[in-house]
Amino acid sequence: MVVEKILQVKDLNISFHTFSGEVKAIRGVNFDLYKGETLAIVGESGSGKSVTTKSIMRLLPEHNSEIKSGEILFNGKDLAKLKDREMQKIRGHDISMIFQDPMTSLNPTMKIGNQITEPLIKHQNMSRHDAKERALDLLKLVGIPKPEIRINQYPHQFSGGMRQRVVIAIALACNPKILIADEPTTALDVTIQAQILELMKDLQKKIDTSIIFITHDLGVVANVADRVAVMYGGKIVEIGTADEIFYNPKHPYTWGLISSMPDMDTEEEELFSIPGTPPDLLDPPKGDAFAPRNPFVMKIDLEQEPPFFKVSETHYAATWLLHPDAPPVDPPDAVKRRQSQYLEMTGVNSGAVGLDKGNSQFPGKKEGK
Amino acid sequence: MAERKKLLEIKNLKQYFNEGRPNEVKAVDDVSFDIYQGEVMGLVGESGCGKSTTGRTIIRLYDATGGEVLYDGINVHGNKSKKQLKAFNRKMQMIFQDPYASLNPRLKIADVIAEGIDIHGLAKSKQERMERVYELLETVGLNKEHANRYPHEFSGGQRQRIGIARALAVEPEFIIADEPISALDVSIQAQVVNLMKKLQKDKGLTYLFIAHDLSMVKYISDRIGVMYFGRMVELASADDLYRNPLHPYTQSLLSAIPAPDPISERTRKRKSYDPASHNYGDNESVEFREVTPGHFVLCSEKEFKQYQAQSK
Repeated sequence: MVVEKILQVKDLNISFHTFSGEVKAIRGVNFDLYKGETLAIVGESGSGKSVTTKSIMRLLPEHNSEIKSGEILFNGKDLAKLKDREMQKIRGHDISMIFQDPMTSLNPTMKIGNQITEPLIKHQNMSRHDAKERALDLLKLVGIPKPEIRINQYPHQFSGGMRQRVVIAIALACNPKILIADEPTTALDVTIQAQILELMKDLQKKIDTSIIFITHDLGVVANVADRVAVMYGGKIVEIGTADEIFYNPKHPYTWGLISSMPDMDTEEEELFSIPGTPPDLLDPPKGDAFAPRNPFVMKIDLEQEPPFFKVSETHYAATWLLHPDAPPVDPPDAVKRRQSQYLEMTGVNSGAVGLDKGNSQFPGKKEGK
Repeated sequence: MAERKKLLEIKNLKQYFNEGRPNEVKAVDDVSFDIYQGEVMGLVGESGCGKSTTGRTIIRLYDATGGEVLYDGINVHGNKSKKQLKAFNRKMQMIFQDPYASLNPRLKIADVIAEGIDIHGLAKSKQERMERVYELLETVGLNKEHANRYPHEFSGGQRQRIGIARALAVEPEFIIADEPISALDVSIQAQVVNLMKKLQKDKGLTYLFIAHDLSMVKYISDRIGVMYFGRMVELASADDLYRNPLHPYTQSLLSAIPAPDPISERTRKRKSYDPASHNYGDNESVEFREVTPGHFVLCSEKEFKQYQAQSK
């Protein structure tokens, strides 16, 4: 099965020029986005997840940010080098975005209807009348009751969950090929979050878009993602299918993330927390950025940056622990529990306990959602 | 268990805003529960359900519309001299949700933390005051050098630690933590929760832990209360609540939490809650009833019997 690559990000480097110097926010990010899939990007604040996606939309502030090198290939075009005018044709049409805070991402002085019809009139040359019809359809699609009345209302007349639905309706107006959702449910309650996630999955099936989903909630990731990329210190440190990342993670940072969440079975034991603080990207450390916080740190981590090691066809991790010469290490209990849990649920060994030096027989097949 | 001392008794607490006007809001409507000494009581519910208002009313940031809050048998609300109020304020402290908004940006950390010490005259000399501040900073995992900095120089997790240090400064017995970790990253959340748990053990504190992240609440709490539209709909021990949720709202809330588990997520069925589904008759009295020992549910007589049968 050959899956079409809809977006390729190649060796992306982005810096911000600040008073205290050059902040190297993104340091060599590579990933592909396939048609119809949901790729989740996780990582702590400052790891570069939002900067990566904003660069795809070319929404980074012009006065202090710079794409130092790299390519963002979409439809054979390099978005990183596109002129503003050409980018405007893509933004909101082929690629659109849902922001974190539905309270601030709508224009408070414009009626909802006009905000939805704006991209339709601009990108698809629709007449006002047709655009309005389409806006009504969209509002129905995202589950807003009484769209005929709602279309003439202002954002303040909507609740948080309803506003996020409106934002989604705007993002979907032109049937985009890629939808970037930057923490779309973080500001919402769990019950509303569940509704919005279901809505997004539903819509994805209907219009077959690819979604890049940014979040730091691993529960949400498990719910929506086909594949997961874990970012740390401006780089992707591990990427794989959702099953691979959740049941057989290989990078010690991913181990830390997974161990620090209580699941329903976590009893009295102390919660694991990753010691220390994220790296200072003004002066990125030599070697592995995670090394100072890594309990399994080796000498080489401090000297040389780890390359990506292949775990399976779909699963890569950048840690020296996967090098054939690395000593075997014992992953934390929470990770081992997950490996055996996976074994129990599927009857498939999720790639052996410990580290198999890159030849593990991991079932790389992607189950349909 | 039954012999444990009740530290706090909340009886029919009501907090109405815009009372008597057409836009009256019953933010907290007849809520009663007890908090025992040394326990962590969790309070969950969606935004607008009144959980924060409950916390703020308990500590008298709002004056209650009705009902009583008894702390060690003494009513918190009601007429009090300044002196009495001050004594009471020392026993009860609060940690706020937003570590960015809850620290005065113009005060140095030492002064933020020592404000309570100054007000209550807990330090006899300048030196003692600073020593106390250093000690508190260490307790929450920061160090001495941080005392002379300003809030903007700290990350969210560090600020929340400062908020905790400030609350601890007056040696309280009871702390209300209003969504203390919601604004923090996952890895930092674990640090703060561990810290709070450790402090509780070391100092014998009692917490009211308000949050909407249910897995974290389950982890830290002994008992959990679920609120919906200003009312407490279910109250039980943490394990009981998760294993045997009785009220349909609690069930829907639990079914909405995404678990970090892709396989179970694929097959998950969500329940939605419709308040109309109860079909209460006019003469049915809907009350907070004890279904099994320690497990309370807001229900009618009929539902009560049904829940009891279920729980057997």
